[in-house]
Amino acid sequence: MSESYEYLFKFLVIGSAGTGKSSLLNNFIGNKFKEDRCHTIGVEFGSKIVNIGGKSTKLQIWDTAGQERFRSVTRSYYRGAAGALLVYDITSRDSFNALSNWLRDARTLASPNIVILLVGNKKDMEESREVTFTEASQFAQENELMFLETSAKTGENVEEAFLKCSKTILAKIETGELDPERIGSGIQYGTGTSKRLSAPKKPARSPSDCACHV
Amino acid sequence: MQSDFVNNSANISLQLPTMLSEEGMENRRGPPGVNSRSLSIAHSAADLEVLREIENVYFHPPSEFDAGRYVLEHAPASSCDDIERMFAKLKRQQQVVSGKALHLISQQRDTCDREFKEIQNIREQLSTTLQTCQRARVQLRAASNHLTISTFVILANFRKRQIIRSVLKSLELLRSLRSVEKDVAELLLKKEYFEAIELILKSKKAASSHKEYTCIADLATRLQDTLDMTEEKLDSVLASICYNFDENTFRKLRKAYALLGKTQAAMEQLHMHYSSAVNESSIEAVKNYVGDCTDMKFQEMCQSVQANKAPICLLNLCENLFLIMRSYYLLVDWHSKHDEEESIPISSNVFEIEKNVSREYIRQKLKAGLVRIWNDVQAKVSTFLKSSGLEEYPFEKFIQMLGVLRKLTQVAEVFCGDKSDLLQDFIKTQSVLYIKNYHRGRMEELKLFLENEGWEQCPVKSTFNLLYLQEFKQFKKYLNIRSDTSLLKTHSDGASSVHSQEDSVYIAKYFKQNTNHTPFEIFRNENITNDDIFGLEPELVSDDSEDDEPDELKRDFVDENDRLEPNESPSKVKDSVIVTNTTLSVLRHCGQYLQICRYLPQISLEVVMLMNQLFDYYFFTVHLFFTADLDVASSTLYSSKLNSVLKRIKNNIDTENSGVVDGKIPSPDPPQHLNFTSEENLHGLSERIVAVESVIFLAKQYEILQPYLESIVAQHQRMILEHFKDNTLAVVQDLRVPVYMCSASKSVDARTALIAMSQVKWDVKNVAVEHSAYVDMIIRKIQVFALRLENVSNKVTLNIEVLNSIWSMVSKFIVHLLVEGFSNATKCSNGGRGLMQLDYRQLFLKLEKISGLKPVPFQDYVDKYVKAYYLPRKGLEDFVLERVEYSNKHLMALVTCACENKKDRQALSVIIEGRDAAV
Repeated sequence: MSESYEYLFKFLVIGSAGTGKSSLLNNFIGNKFKEDRCHTIGVEFGSKIVNIGGKSTKLQIWDTAGQERFRSVTRSYYRGAAGALLVYDITSRDSFNALSNWLRDARTLASPNIVILLVGNKKDMEESREVTFTEASQFAQENELMFLETSAKTGENVEEAFLKCSKTILAKIETGELDPERIGSGIQYGTGTSKRLSAPKKPARSPSDCACHV
Repeated sequence: MQSDFVNNSANISLQLPTMLSEEGMENRRGPPGVNSRSLSIAHSAADLEVLREIENVYFHPPSEFDAGRYVLEHAPASSCDDIERMFAKLKRQQQVVSGKALHLISQQRDTCDREFKEIQNIREQLSTTLQTCQRARVQLRAASNHLTISTFVILANFRKRQIIRSVLKSLELLRSLRSVEKDVAELLLKKEYFEAIELILKSKKAASSHKEYTCIADLATRLQDTLDMTEEKLDSVLASICYNFDENTFRKLRKAYALLGKTQAAMEQLHMHYSSAVNESSIEAVKNYVGDCTDMKFQEMCQSVQANKAPICLLNLCENLFLIMRSYYLLVDWHSKHDEEESIPISSNVFEIEKNVSREYIRQKLKAGLVRIWNDVQAKVSTFLKSSGLEEYPFEKFIQMLGVLRKLTQVAEVFCGDKSDLLQDFIKTQSVLYIKNYHRGRMEELKLFLENEGWEQCPVKSTFNLLYLQEFKQFKKYLNIRSDTSLLKTHSDGASSVHSQEDSVYIAKYFKQNTNHTPFEIFRNENITNDDIFGLEPELVSDDSEDDEPDELKRDFVDENDRLEPNESPSKVKDSVIVTNTTLSVLRHCGQYLQICRYLPQISLEVVMLMNQLFDYYFFTVHLFFTADLDVASSTLYSSKLNSVLKRIKNNIDTENSGVVDGKIPSPDPPQHLNFTSEENLHGLSERIVAVESVIFLAKQYEILQPYLESIVAQHQRMILEHFKDNTLAVVQDLRVPVYMCSASKSVDARTALIAMSQVKWDVKNVAVEHSAYVDMIIRKIQVFALRLENVSNKVTLNIEVLNSIWSMVSKFIVHLLVEGFSNATKCSNGGRGLMQLDYRQLFLKLEKISGLKPVPFQDYVDKYVKAYYLPRKGLEDFVLERVEYSNKHLMALVTCACENKKDRQALSVIIEGRDAAV
């Protein structure tokens, strides 16, 4: 349609129930914050075109339900995600403790190259904080994740989270670490024809990478 | 000496007359002294005699008589004696007279003294009198002086004062004239327009009547300027009336204009102001949302409003325009009230007539003005809407925008009774455009959802239906699943007409003065619901008697148990609800579509059609994804209705994915992530079940909606809905057949089975006791299938219907497999036919046990085929003619086996071959 973009990234937002995943997504795509939001049922979806390093990139974001009973439904959406926001609630120790499980799911079900950004949400509720920035940073470092603390309520760092993750993906494409051509990479070339023309160049440059995947 | 004498005598005689005048008088009749006094004196008669002898002549006054001369004349010339005698005589006489005189004098002395005294007295009196007179005269003079002169001075002064006073007055006037400007400004500030004008006019008059004062020579021109300026000021106040009608101000203005004799001109002017106010405030509303708007036309400004700012901008626009409309409304209202108050009886007075004409003119003008202003407003709003990229509004904002426009039409109805057909049409076309655009987005999203769908069962309660979704909350009362439709109709019919009346009362409230509120305010409220916007069924919440329901609506339709207990036998499950994530999102879209319908009843049909398209697409996709690997002949798997539905839907879908066909929806890309090849999971049976059953569930939900949908579309449009219900929704169950066949047909490997069957000798003489080996082989395969199906039921809640349809597909596959296998037998004896019966009976017995189907369906297919062998020639011919479900190959094989007579065989062969042509 009218929108044109160079890349399309499939994104996941995962994490325990009630950590504010949907609020993050809604904030990002420009909806208002709702104080009393229902639990997500199954999977919801949002998309936004952002500009990353001069390249317009469409983010196709799947906002998954955090509740355990939806695991089987949501897992089927992990496939081929290029990036993920792994969300916990800084006021909930439990949500932080569950991170390892979510991380394992993401790495096994999505592509192993998935770029994951750890998000400590509800930054605005400092007074009921249960997880310190330092320990979360440490967790991120140990698991090779990027890390940001956000507030979907105030909007602080929300856009940054998505952008930072996208930038990393883009950087990986440019270094050849990620191959958009590979099925299940979670990356697609955009709609513009001019971009399509530029697409064939990429695989030519990185045949060795292809071999790596096998 | 003589002369002395003479002189003496003369002197005496001179004195006598006067002294003796009284006596003399008496003496004329008698001799003097002959009175009592002379008698008393003893003098003598001689004396008297002498006296008598005195000639009368001597008694003449000396002036007439000269005694000397007389004597001399009369003196006797003759002798001295005579003269002596005469002298003596005369001497005597003189002595007597002197004596007499002396006597008389002494006699009279007292009298004389007395008289003298008297005279003295009189003299004194006279002198006092004189003095008095003099004094009086002096005083009189003083008085006269005092009185006369001061009066004149007074008069003169008075006159002077008068003059000075008038001069002073003039001067004061002039001084006040000098301050007129200031006073006028003050009056204007105090909104005393009438007084200001009056002051100016008076001043002007005064100035012209005091032209003689040079000091105010140019004051007159200045006053004219002031008047002009004041009129300008009035004009600006008049202009401000457009934004906020204030009765007091307007009354004052009107009075002022009346004084100026410009009542009518002012009304013209006011209308012009209203026109420009509509313009100005439109621009004002949009301006803030446009960066640099210099030299921009309104339309250009509208175009450069950012899409995300457009809704709030529209709101501002409507609010601003409403204020002007309200102001005008109040103006008209004021006039109509005043006309009543001031209505003048028809009169022959020219002035009155003129006034009446003018009033009538203004009335007409005002009446026409209402419509004109509304048209202006409509034009502005339309311009804005046309250039604001309405299609790009987010859903909520679009609904809000509709609300705003709806309110605007209601406002118009109150304002000028206009039904705003223009705007209504515009709303309708824009709505259709919007909903189509919105729908396109939803379809794209649906495509994405379908392509990414894992076809996992979403854990919802077994009682779940669409009413549990929040999107349908508002429709709950219309969608009582058990209810009869009669209830529905009353609801929907009443809704529109009743509201409009209430609305107008509600809107009229905002047209009152002294309110700062506008009907558009509610849109600024963040928490506003769409129902608030549209004023729909505000009683809804209270209507909801089941208090615990809303909670459930929100979140609890999700099954609390993570999974149904796996050990529960599937056959026991009655109501399983199989929905996918995508099913839910389709339903939610439907909810949103219906919400749009509520607000846009005039495009209901369009919206319902788009809703149906969502269903179609889901339906189509499931069929596309899950029958792609169907490897058996499909002719008997598709009912004619199913075929036609799929054909119909396919016409709207761009199956080539060329992207060039406009208006067609791109076909979804088959999913890469689904495993249809693993025998372990029965070739994706669980996904197939979830897919098909979710379509069926979706169709059920659509059916629930049908009565409501019928109630919102026009009578003549209901047919379309019924058609959809009968020919699409009712057909979805048929989808089970081809989809489940994909798995069922892989339950037994056809090739192996056919090979095994072909190894059976059918031309046996005796009827066998034991069934053939292939039967066991097939049964084993079916048992494996059943076990795997059990595994599937751990993942998906299978109800009996699903199980039955799966098993009937297995059965269908098997009967076809059998017929195919049997038809491969070129030689067959009666015994062979018997064996066939034995085989399939055994097979079905087992199948019945495994599947729980009683009886196993489609047995007839193989049964009839096998038994046709026993038919007589005629019966066989009929069978061949009528049984189109068997292929030519099957029938040829049957005929070959059944007919021993070669002629008959050939004849029937001809019939079989002719069948194709006949069909």
